[in-house]
Amino acid sequence: MAGKGGAAPSTYSPSPTTQKTKSRIFGNDDVDWVRSDGREFHQCRPAFFKTGAVNAAAGSAYAEFGNTKVIVSVFGPRESKKAMMYSDIGRLNCNVSYTTFATPVRGQGSDHKEFSSMLHKALEGAIILETFPKTTVDVFALVLESGGSDLPVVISCASLALADAGIMMYDLVTSVSVSGLGKNLVIDPILEEESYQDGSLMLTCMPSRYEVTQLTITGEWSTPKINEGMQICLDACSKLAVVMRACLKGPDSTLEE
Amino acid sequence: MVGLSIGEKHFIQGGIAQDLRSDGRKRLTTRPIYVETGVISQANGSARVRMGATDVIASVKAELGRPNALQPDKGKVVVNVDCSPTAAPMFEGRGGEELSAELSVALQCCLLGGKSGSGAGIDLSSLVVVEGKICWDLYIDGLVVSSDGNLLDALGAAIKAALSNTGIPKVNVAAGASGDEQPEVDVSDEEFLQFDTSRVPVIVTLTKVGRHYIVDATSEEESQMSSAVSISINRQGHICGLTKRGGAGLDPSIILDMISVAKTVSEQLINTLDSHIAAAEAGEEES
Repeated sequence: MAGKGGAAPSTYSPSPTTQKTKSRIFGNDDVDWVRSDGREFHQCRPAFFKTGAVNAAAGSAYAEFGNTKVIVSVFGPRESKKAMMYSDIGRLNCNVSYTTFATPVRGQGSDHKEFSSMLHKALEGAIILETFPKTTVDVFALVLESGGSDLPVVISCASLALADAGIMMYDLVTSVSVSGLGKNLVIDPILEEESYQDGSLMLTCMPSRYEVTQLTITGEWSTPKINEGMQICLDACSKLAVVMRACLKGPDSTLEE
Repeated sequence: MVGLSIGEKHFIQGGIAQDLRSDGRKRLTTRPIYVETGVISQANGSARVRMGATDVIASVKAELGRPNALQPDKGKVVVNVDCSPTAAPMFEGRGGEELSAELSVALQCCLLGGKSGSGAGIDLSSLVVVEGKICWDLYIDGLVVSSDGNLLDALGAAIKAALSNTGIPKVNVAAGASGDEQPEVDVSDEEFLQFDTSRVPVIVTLTKVGRHYIVDATSEEESQMSSAVSISINRQGHICGLTKRGGAGLDPSIILDMISVAKTVSEQLINTLDSHIAAAEAGEEES
């Protein structure tokens, strides 16, 4: 994020200007600061989903949460590579990549190598792999623009793309993260809030089954705070699932939360 | 992967359900832990930790570098784990890469805390020599020598032991450098500063097999897991990081239950580990 010197964006990058020189906008004890996009602490950004974004794919979805824009295509099931051992359940192959212009500094998205395996772990529990033995399903996610909470958006969008591809799943997978800023928890943090966060909690769940498929916590947390964070996330996840379901059902699916 | 017959699988699952595991342990009993420090003379600090047949080495190397322009008052810590093919043939070539990456990310998340630096096990601001100009880059490398389950906990313990074994050389900065000039430094090879490791958390992995969960699973038991939750906890009982492995979903209340169990287990683990580290350090000084 050192690129604040080059004021005129040379490439297509409508991302918010970086905040290097800005002082910390919220102190530890300051309870009443306003989030820079005017949301309340426990208010998510409006979510937009659209299925069928890519023609060539078996299923695809596009998601837009504020400035975070993600496209996910699902290919397959296809025959597993010869080198793979025989398996009576299907395989899931996930890959998350960033466009070079996704981040405020060009090409910074390659810092997130772990996202592919995290996407895999978040999804594998929800997919009924027994329904496509000996074959592989590819899930390719591309972050077009990184605006914070990238991985949760990728996970939710990927599950929508899988549903669009007709891959059998137990339930849709939704994911939401909260950031700990001082004493407060803010849901669905934007890039700026993520860079200041003291800790983060990302929860991925299957809302109708009320099961957590993935949980990642960084930073120092006390147990009551984890409890609170998980409740906020679970609540938001179930609301997100309603939006996603409406998108799958509706013929012209432009729904906003 | 461990090849197990159906009978063996049932034996492991049944044993866990009855609170008597294949090696005679209860569900929440850990294997005895052996700690050796100062095993690598080239490194600033190192330790070898064995838990049953799991054998890992952690080394800490400190190099002088430039701090990040965004965080001029902080040093840098890089955690990297290598899975050697000597541990298992499947680690050969790129085979171990996925596991290595997973372990590195999990350790990084457990040790380094949030982006703002709060809750970090390693105090990054203590690594700065001259603000904005010189800092220590700490390279923490983990090596899996032999793998019999519970690698993350073993690596976490090894890193904690290696950090308490680490001596950072004292640096004398030559006065007079001004402005953008890089000041001259003199790295002492006699005086070392000890590292404060009281805040470094330990990692406790709870592996869920059937309806129960166990600590310190062997690789046979890990092959039967539905999911595992790794929780890093510091001495104050605060959670410093949490990751989940395995695809199967968990009920949120079970996760909270696991956290409270992990807290109790971690207290014992921290105490055992501290006494082992102290004993290992004392033994090293004698020899």
